[in-house]
Amino acid sequence: MSTATRSEDPTGRLGAVLGRLFDFWPMVTVAALGLTTLLLLLPVYNIIGLSFSGTEAGRSLFDNYAMFFSEPYYYRSLINSFIVSISATILALLVGIPAAYFVSRYNIWARSLIKTVVVLTFVSPPFIGSYSWVILLGRSGVLTRFFAEYGISLPSIYGAPGIIFVFTLQYFPFVFLLVSSGLKSIDQSVEDAARNLGSGEFATFMKVIAPLLLPSITTAALLVFVAAFTDLGTPLILGEKFRVLPLLIYGEFVNDFGGQPVLASTLSVLLLAVTTAALLLQRWLSARFSHATAAIRPLTMQEPPPLKRMLAAGYVYLLMAIAILPLVNIVISSFLKANGPVLTAELSLENYRRIAGTLARPLWNTILFTSTATLACAVIGTLIAYIIVRRPGRISALLDTIVMFSYAVPGIVLGVGLVVTYHYPPFALTGTALILIMAYFIRRLPFSVRASVSALQQLSRDTEEASVNLGAGPAATFARVTVPLLSMAILSGVLLTWSNTIRELSATLILQSGSTITVSIEIFNEVVNGNFGVASALGSILILLTFLPLILLFTLMGKNEEALV
Amino acid sequence: MTTSVTIDSVTKRFGDTTAVDAVSFDIAKGEFFTLLGSSGCGKTTLLRMIAGFMRQTSGHIRFGGKVIDHVPPHQRNTGMVFQNYAIFPHLTVFDNIAYGLRARRRGKAEIEREVKRMLELVRLGHLAHRRPRELSGGQQQRVVLARAMVIQPDVLLMDEPLSNLDTEMRMHLRAEIRSLQRQVGVTTIYVTHDQEEALLMSDRIAVMSRGRVEQLDVPHRIYAEPQTLFVAGFIGENNLLPGTVLGREADGGAIIELAGGGRLRGASTTTGDGRACIVSIRPQDIDIADASNGTELSLSGTVGDIQFLGGAVKLMVDIGADKPLTVALPGRRDMAMPTLGSALRLSVPPHAVRTFQPEVGA
Repeated sequence: MSTATRSEDPTGRLGAVLGRLFDFWPMVTVAALGLTTLLLLLPVYNIIGLSFSGTEAGRSLFDNYAMFFSEPYYYRSLINSFIVSISATILALLVGIPAAYFVSRYNIWARSLIKTVVVLTFVSPPFIGSYSWVILLGRSGVLTRFFAEYGISLPSIYGAPGIIFVFTLQYFPFVFLLVSSGLKSIDQSVEDAARNLGSGEFATFMKVIAPLLLPSITTAALLVFVAAFTDLGTPLILGEKFRVLPLLIYGEFVNDFGGQPVLASTLSVLLLAVTTAALLLQRWLSARFSHATAAIRPLTMQEPPPLKRMLAAGYVYLLMAIAILPLVNIVISSFLKANGPVLTAELSLENYRRIAGTLARPLWNTILFTSTATLACAVIGTLIAYIIVRRPGRISALLDTIVMFSYAVPGIVLGVGLVVTYHYPPFALTGTALILIMAYFIRRLPFSVRASVSALQQLSRDTEEASVNLGAGPAATFARVTVPLLSMAILSGVLLTWSNTIRELSATLILQSGSTITVSIEIFNEVVNGNFGVASALGSILILLTFLPLILLFTLMGKNEEALV
Repeated sequence: MTTSVTIDSVTKRFGDTTAVDAVSFDIAKGEFFTLLGSSGCGKTTLLRMIAGFMRQTSGHIRFGGKVIDHVPPHQRNTGMVFQNYAIFPHLTVFDNIAYGLRARRRGKAEIEREVKRMLELVRLGHLAHRRPRELSGGQQQRVVLARAMVIQPDVLLMDEPLSNLDTEMRMHLRAEIRSLQRQVGVTTIYVTHDQEEALLMSDRIAVMSRGRVEQLDVPHRIYAEPQTLFVAGFIGENNLLPGTVLGREADGGAIIELAGGGRLRGASTTTGDGRACIVSIRPQDIDIADASNGTELSLSGTVGDIQFLGGAVKLMVDIGADKPLTVALPGRRDMAMPTLGSALRLSVPPHAVRTFQPEVGA
């Protein structure tokens, strides 16, 4: 008993408690909280602060917002943003749901090719799609001129209709992929029961299948909405006089450069408010509509009558042809001789020859920034995922919330926030490679964390406990057991992050300077200058860089296309 | 190396629920000690607190008299064997077993020697460089056992190590674990819900229910002399019948009336006269009474069902109570097989009759 009493003395306990503070995981938790605070919360806090400030004295706190909502020039942009985003969302649902249903349920031909097209469309940079459509349907576009010869005038690709058109094609893959995976979680018995009780196929879809798909559909709808609402490249290329909110932020930011971007911050806060609300709504809806079903026997493939099969196939093929057209166009036009914005029918390598001399720097920058950010995402994302899954508690829940919040912060808003926060000494990071890497890292962090979280949740805790029990400390256990067991998930996360980061435009537009130019910025500049041939050559290279990791992901790692969403 | 373990009024609460409720006991050095109970009884929680994966809300755990409450799990030097093996799937059999030695930064030659010795002990020498996925469940569990023993732990902890194996492998490994443990002499705490396993392997058993230790004793006494109604019902097959203590005889034996009117003599009881009780009688302790030798203190009933099990015959005898009395007769070659619906007189030796207080609300 005497030994026991001695070892329970208060100093021993205090020492143990103090010792625990310097343990591996508490230190990592503090570091992760610090990092996300510096890269995410502080920038957002600063733009919110700036939006309530003014340069002149005697102004009220809400003056910037008051001006926004009283000047048509400003508030129109918000309305416009809603118009194009909601329209694109509805159209993407109308186009995507039947396509997903047909491809999942009917034995139409070339289904794997269709899925490839969806993936290609999904991961191709949106602004490349936009300017590709300009080459095709612009004022002197290939198709415009072709049809004009027969006296047919095609609708304009510029302004709201063009933006909605491009957004629909760019973002319907969200719907396609989520609904396809939603269909896989429905059990065949559910459909059989509905048919047995007397419902036809359409009635069964509307009354039974669609309600079960609601979580997938609402998630897809809100993802499309947010993507469309925050996209900068497409309206920049197609908008002309039609202004949306991100465009206005970019414009105001460029105008205010050097001073305090008060107005750009105000607009950014509004944009952030909308995306945050949309993502909260999505969380609420998917919690509400989730039917915890696991398909024992998933919906089977049907063999519809020939006519039905052909109509369904025809619809899907047409959609895929239109969706892939801009990409095909970029690759082809990169090999055509260009005369300014007008492409000739003459094959040539001239475009590639022209970029050969200037490509090295943007290409090196792009690969360097992307790889660094990807690596940081993999390492820090896995550490954070571990804290969230294995060390639940209030602090870990807070970390989870912060990381997921970064999901809601649009690239352009993050860009403005980082400039506002780190422009001035002692940081003076604007125009450096570091600030771009910081932006890429924090934007992709939630995806890395989410991937590792779901892999960790499937990993039995016992294996790690066995390691600890055998004498390996927390850090050693993480390095020697957890990471090797998560390696496939981490690797597929790395490939996805790389492919997504390399095409980033909105934050890059705000944060880059001459010396940190990337391929996407180079393409954008060439498009603005009307050098479509060169832009296509660069675009083809960017598309290749985007696809390479995905090819690895799908072929070597046996992932399917649903890993993308 | 191995040590005694003291559990000193250890309590673990999760919010409002108490998973382990002021449990205390001592485990001797080298003892094979089993925590037995159904799921949710707190046995695994207690084991995990001993391993250090969880911290008790109050109370102390001592290894060899030394409090280890503040020692983190990787410094406790316990060897744990998990229910689902928790084998490291990315490491070979050899590397799995070497893991703990490497964490202790032992020399290469020593690791080589110790792992080889352990591999021989669990008869897996020929599989040293295989990957876990190439092994059967039984082989994986032997790897994990070797991995836990090679570090010469102070205490070996086993959390239902056999429950994922098929019956044959389970029988085989029971014997193997027991003989290994005797050979090495390591203090072992074994968690199981399988009473047969517990009775067969343990030096002592703590039967747990709702976070408390119901009874702590050697296996045969746990079986023969259950101290609580829970243990009487949980261990082995038993007839638990409501009854009333009518009075006492001169030698201290009690006269008990069962529901249905049958009367029995019980050797001893703490239940007061005239009080309701639950009577427990093992089916194999009941005999068919000689009809001529009938006394007033015997049971009579009719055979409601006969289950022939080869080595034994079970009779479900209706004695007028809510449920029939189960009687197990040894299945001998020349036994007189009772017939369905026939009337029987049954006798029960007084020391086989135990009484318990009826549980409140049960």
